Amino acid sequence: MKSLHRMLAASLALGAASALSAKEELNLFAWSEYIPQGVLDGFKQETGIEVNYETYASNEELLSKLLAGGGAYDLVQPSDYAAEVMIKQKLLAPLDKAQLANLKNLGPQFRHLPHDPADDYTVPYMTGTVGIVVNTAVVKDPIRGFGDVFQPKFKDRIVVLNDNREIVTWALYTLGVSANAISKENIEQARPIVARWIKLIKVFDSDSPKTALLNGDVDLGVVWSGEAAILWKENKKFQYVLAAEGAHQFIDVLAIPVAARHKAAAHQFINYILRPEVSKLISDEFPYTNPNLEARKLLSPEQLANPASYPAGGKLETFHDIGKLAADIDRLMTDLKSGR
Amino acid sequence: MNAPVRAGPPGDGVGEAMEADDTPVPAAAELDRRKPRLLAWLLLAPLLVWLAGFVVAPTAILFVYSFCERDEVGRVVYHFTWDNYRRVFDPIYLHIFWRSILYAGLTTVICVVIGYPVAYFIARAREEWRHKLLLLVMIPFWTSFLIRTYAWITILKQEGLLNGFLQSLALPVAPLDLLYTPTAVVIGLVYAYLPFMILPIYGSAEKLENAVIEAAYDLGAGPLRAFSAVIVPLTMPGIAAGTLLVFVPAIGMFAITDLMGGAKVPMIGNVIQNQFLQARDWPFGAALGVVFMLMFAVTYWIVQRRGAQMA
Repeated sequence: MKSLHRMLAASLALGAASALSAKEELNLFAWSEYIPQGVLDGFKQETGIEVNYETYASNEELLSKLLAGGGAYDLVQPSDYAAEVMIKQKLLAPLDKAQLANLKNLGPQFRHLPHDPADDYTVPYMTGTVGIVVNTAVVKDPIRGFGDVFQPKFKDRIVVLNDNREIVTWALYTLGVSANAISKENIEQARPIVARWIKLIKVFDSDSPKTALLNGDVDLGVVWSGEAAILWKENKKFQYVLAAEGAHQFIDVLAIPVAARHKAAAHQFINYILRPEVSKLISDEFPYTNPNLEARKLLSPEQLANPASYPAGGKLETFHDIGKLAADIDRLMTDLKSGR
Repeated sequence: MNAPVRAGPPGDGVGEAMEADDTPVPAAAELDRRKPRLLAWLLLAPLLVWLAGFVVAPTAILFVYSFCERDEVGRVVYHFTWDNYRRVFDPIYLHIFWRSILYAGLTTVICVVIGYPVAYFIARAREEWRHKLLLLVMIPFWTSFLIRTYAWITILKQEGLLNGFLQSLALPVAPLDLLYTPTAVVIGLVYAYLPFMILPIYGSAEKLENAVIEAAYDLGAGPLRAFSAVIVPLTMPGIAAGTLLVFVPAIGMFAITDLMGGAKVPMIGNVIQNQFLQARDWPFGAALGVVFMLMFAVTYWIVQRRGAQMA
């Protein structure tokens, strides 16, 4: 489905590019359901720059396209660990901070992060966590962690992200293994747990896991915090908790590929996004954790009280790149989903 | 089958291919006359360029990649290995291939069962009705495939239209749990590919001469016999073409398994997609793709041969 979207988008972008080659443009490659159309329109209105917005549904997808020689993109939106790989592989261009006056709006806790210690290549866009959503109108038991979710009595009442690394990481949390301590051995240890879980799961969906919850097809979910925040906004019966066994955060950043052809426009766009009133629009539509403290001041008390957007608790770890282990994880999941 | 009339009227893809097989070799003089002229080549040029650029070249790249390795981040390294093919024949993937064939096969059978009467009815309808009915078969194509699939989600979901309808009938049944099950996948596949079965069968059935059927009755055949011994063999080229058009793409479909099946049970299309986008193992994905294409070739060959035997 995503691919069909993308093919359409790509062919449209191609047509647009050839027809308007004289016009200024920006080729943006970003997560699906993450950048409001209003922001793109506002940017175009102000600068005259046409934004071609193409989407993906996982970091791996972004990496594989960029590694295949995606010179066509001017601005990408990887998460922390994918940005780390891209920096290591020299795929990102250093930022010209002189063009990014609005960087000052970002909270200090979102600067100098492990994936880019000197902030040379990346600018945080939104951050979030992966946690559990409970439809408390149906599920009356207290749900505190993965152990409470994946119980036989909730068979076929669960949606999870269709993200293999996430699922294996959750299983490892229940074994007391931290997110980045993945190895060939402990992937095998996770096998029986994931095998048991898969039999209980009704839907795998990374694009819009909230749909199955809203439709009443499932009552529990392990999803992106932003999705949970939208559900809570819709109906307070959808409660969000970070799993007791372990949780991590993700930091999605904006970065400019080395091969980008419209670097000035890309800088302009980053600086535009960092404006408090623009960043607020993003929070309105996709209520993840906003790293822009000036924008947070513009949010309503209800938005700030959303437990999925702004969960209590300390700083969580982020994913690091795991190289070839991604293939082992994929194999494990393919294996288990095939019911063997 | 020993149908008296030759199946495969000219103009029908499958029929023609069969005919080509048993055409006697033309005499040398005739060959000379048939030599393609420059103009013909010029007219063909766009097609040839298209084929070279978008079929031959990508297939060649796929073939080369399938013998390569991947590096730490997922780039293709040009170092020869058989490993990818060894992995394709791992029981997990064979099992998935088998399941994909099963789903696609079931889809094809259901499409024939539903599509044949529809196509036959349209073909036998009065002239002025025929085109209107055909239009009805095509109308779904006016909307995006994705939108139509989402519409099915609205119908099949637990609090959806179907269950709402059943409830309004006050039948003593529990709400059906259809969405995100293999049944939903097959419903989605049949829905998506049914027109591709109806249209070729219609093409064959429309050319069916009434006189032939009447002759069957005159010679003492009952309706069943006339259908099985005359009508089916004569429309076989349409069934064969429809089978190819449905079975082949249905094996590789991944959008419907993701959307309507909840991405729970992978088909071979999902596995290949995963290799390119999630696992970043292009060489393995390429190897799966090559084996997949060989499977298509074999399917095509079998259908063709069967078609030829029927004739």
